[in-house]
Amino acid sequence: MRDYIQKSVHTENYPSFNALWHLQVMGVRDANHQPNGWSAQRTGRTRVAMIDTSVAPSHPNLQGVIKSDLAIDLYSSRLGVFPYLDEDKLGHLDLNSNTSVAENLPGCKALLVELNDRLTHGSLASVDGVQPMTSEAFSGHGTAIAGLIGARPAVSKKHNDDVMAKQHDDLPLPYVGVDPECEIVPISTNFDPEPRGLIIALLYAELIRADVIVMPRIIPDPIREMAELNGHEHNGKPLAEVLAPVTYVDDDIALWKELTQLMVNISQARPIVCAAGNSNEEFGIYPANLASDDNGIISVGAVNAKGFISGYSSANNITVHAPSDDSEVFDRSEIRLDERRDGYNPEGIPTQNANDKFSSFDIISTDVPGKFGYSGSAFGNEMDNGIMREFGSYYCRFGGTSAASALIAGFLALGKTSGELADTADGIASKTWLLSKCKTLSDQDLQFRFPVWTNCVAPDFPDS
Amino acid sequence: MEHDELLKTHNFIVTTKGLELKDKSIQPTGVGDTAQFDGLNPGAGGGGSLSLLALNRNRNRNRNRNRNRNRNRNRNRSFMDAVSTGGILEPWEERDALHQRRSEWVALPLTPPPTLQTLRRQCVDLLEKQYLLQQPDQEMRRAEIDRESQLELSGYLRPLGIENTGGYGATEALFHVILALTDEIGLRYKDRFNVLRPNQIEPRLRPVLPFPGHASFPSNHSYQSFSIAFLFSRMLPEHPASSELFQSARRIAENREWAGVHYAADTQAGYELARMTAPVLEKVCETKMYEALSEWI
Repeated sequence: MRDYIQKSVHTENYPSFNALWHLQVMGVRDANHQPNGWSAQRTGRTRVAMIDTSVAPSHPNLQGVIKSDLAIDLYSSRLGVFPYLDEDKLGHLDLNSNTSVAENLPGCKALLVELNDRLTHGSLASVDGVQPMTSEAFSGHGTAIAGLIGARPAVSKKHNDDVMAKQHDDLPLPYVGVDPECEIVPISTNFDPEPRGLIIALLYAELIRADVIVMPRIIPDPIREMAELNGHEHNGKPLAEVLAPVTYVDDDIALWKELTQLMVNISQARPIVCAAGNSNEEFGIYPANLASDDNGIISVGAVNAKGFISGYSSANNITVHAPSDDSEVFDRSEIRLDERRDGYNPEGIPTQNANDKFSSFDIISTDVPGKFGYSGSAFGNEMDNGIMREFGSYYCRFGGTSAASALIAGFLALGKTSGELADTADGIASKTWLLSKCKTLSDQDLQFRFPVWTNCVAPDFPDS
Repeated sequence: MEHDELLKTHNFIVTTKGLELKDKSIQPTGVGDTAQFDGLNPGAGGGGSLSLLALNRNRNRNRNRNRNRNRNRNRNRSFMDAVSTGGILEPWEERDALHQRRSEWVALPLTPPPTLQTLRRQCVDLLEKQYLLQQPDQEMRRAEIDRESQLELSGYLRPLGIENTGGYGATEALFHVILALTDEIGLRYKDRFNVLRPNQIEPRLRPVLPFPGHASFPSNHSYQSFSIAFLFSRMLPEHPASSELFQSARRIAENREWAGVHYAADTQAGYELARMTAPVLEKVCETKMYEALSEWI
């Protein structure tokens, strides 16, 4: 009985929050959730290439957002399957075929030739019956990322319990991404530690002339994945190599190396937004740790709703920080615990702590409708002919530097959509513009950059 | 933008009860100004989305944080259900679904086996491995080969950190189902190509395991292990060991080369087949994957 009382005290104690707080704190939307001093000016749509898992395009807030004729899935086949084409064959794709990003990178160049060939008019959408790995069921991560970038407010229909009723009432779904005018091209990949999949994904983003590339994931390069191993040797061999459970093929080692250069090359033309990592990685995970002043790679860290760097996020070598959730910390650097948490026990917690820095706010994004995804549903088959029986399963709590990087990708897209950032701005120019929109904030002795659309106004963190 | 107006009149508020849809045009009442939509409650009780709360607050934020869950799961394996003891009941539902989708997996464009000439060349590599396997520094590999000759899951469970932890019965059941289904698919492809085992081509190869009794290409150990890697990482890409599972699969597959029962080409074909059949297996195993996923989030 006592446990029950304690539990209810703790779980009822969290403050409520506005599901779009992240857009307000970045100055993109005003108190009424209206565009904050911007409007869509661009003739065409800003294109965001999203290298992540597949998405759930049936989500009502993603209607018109996913560029389905360009979506490509590289999970099950090397040169990709087009999962949403109505036709068996590809139409004419307007490609940047003469790109020079693979110059001096022989492995990438060979893959580019293959890819260009595969994308010619009349090529098959899929090869010999190999299906794409894009079922909505396991598309949670990509759906959340896509929603943060470009979801659109929508009006759906709600289920009427009266079986005789012919009418279904409107159901407003007031959710919006940073740039609801942009188009998102999902480029889904698998997680095999193999370089070709990601090289092709990046080359494809280059070919379709993405304005922004977002890559909220790690690259599982066996040598570069853990930067801390650099310089450690055993019997004259790099530690990463002697640790390897399998023998690495020379071709692969060369391609991994090329992939690094390819990222840098592509980022000159279009910004590549990367998540910096969720485990206080010293310089950010790979590839976020490639970010430097002379390339267009943008490393994104996370800030909680109180304006402090999130417990899991780092401050070193981060280009910008963006809103996200928080995590508890209990180590020599800081004690930041969630006192409202069910089961929180103050015993042994020093009174000198930073518990007041913890924020319980998450980032809310779109989720796979129905029982799959991050939020479940009591209905096995939700969204019957577009009629919704609940809306909880359509949204999820999200977070991490993944969420933060999606918000930055959306912010860059909005720059181009609104005309603040020239259509033609390349990776470096886009990054410079992003930095020009940033306010420098501080978290004790750490300083970090935080983008604010109306950059004369200091961000107003809602949980502070 | 169309519906921008909607953001003025409505908004979503996250409360401890879930996501609430608020209609700002409704005047505040004593109980708060939340508009209730009948029929939108997924479960018992109020609130449009109790389901939102079902989320583990930590889950999607952090690839590494999944590890922490394991610390709280110290139930001893011996108290677990029968599934985790190594066997499962015949997965008849999945098998039925697989057979209904026969045309989707039975004739995929697997690269045919290399010529006999190439296979003979690959045998040289196997002979080298045979010699190296006897060296003291390969003691660990010898033990692995022995262990992996039986149906067992430690090669997959250990990288995930759940080898000796309870509460992952559905994940283990999923792995068993994948092993069962891929065994069947793999055997069909083996039968089609009917490639001789390495020691049938090169008698100086003395496999450390008995002749498996079926054709060589593709390697089913490779196919099955990579299938587990593809499907698990699809289900839970955030897991820090998502990519490590592939390394584990490759190691298991290569160990069969070291044991002298497979060519490198068999390993590669197993990988290719796993990649191509993954979308079909995802559909066939959807329920099992859902059940397994719920152990992690």
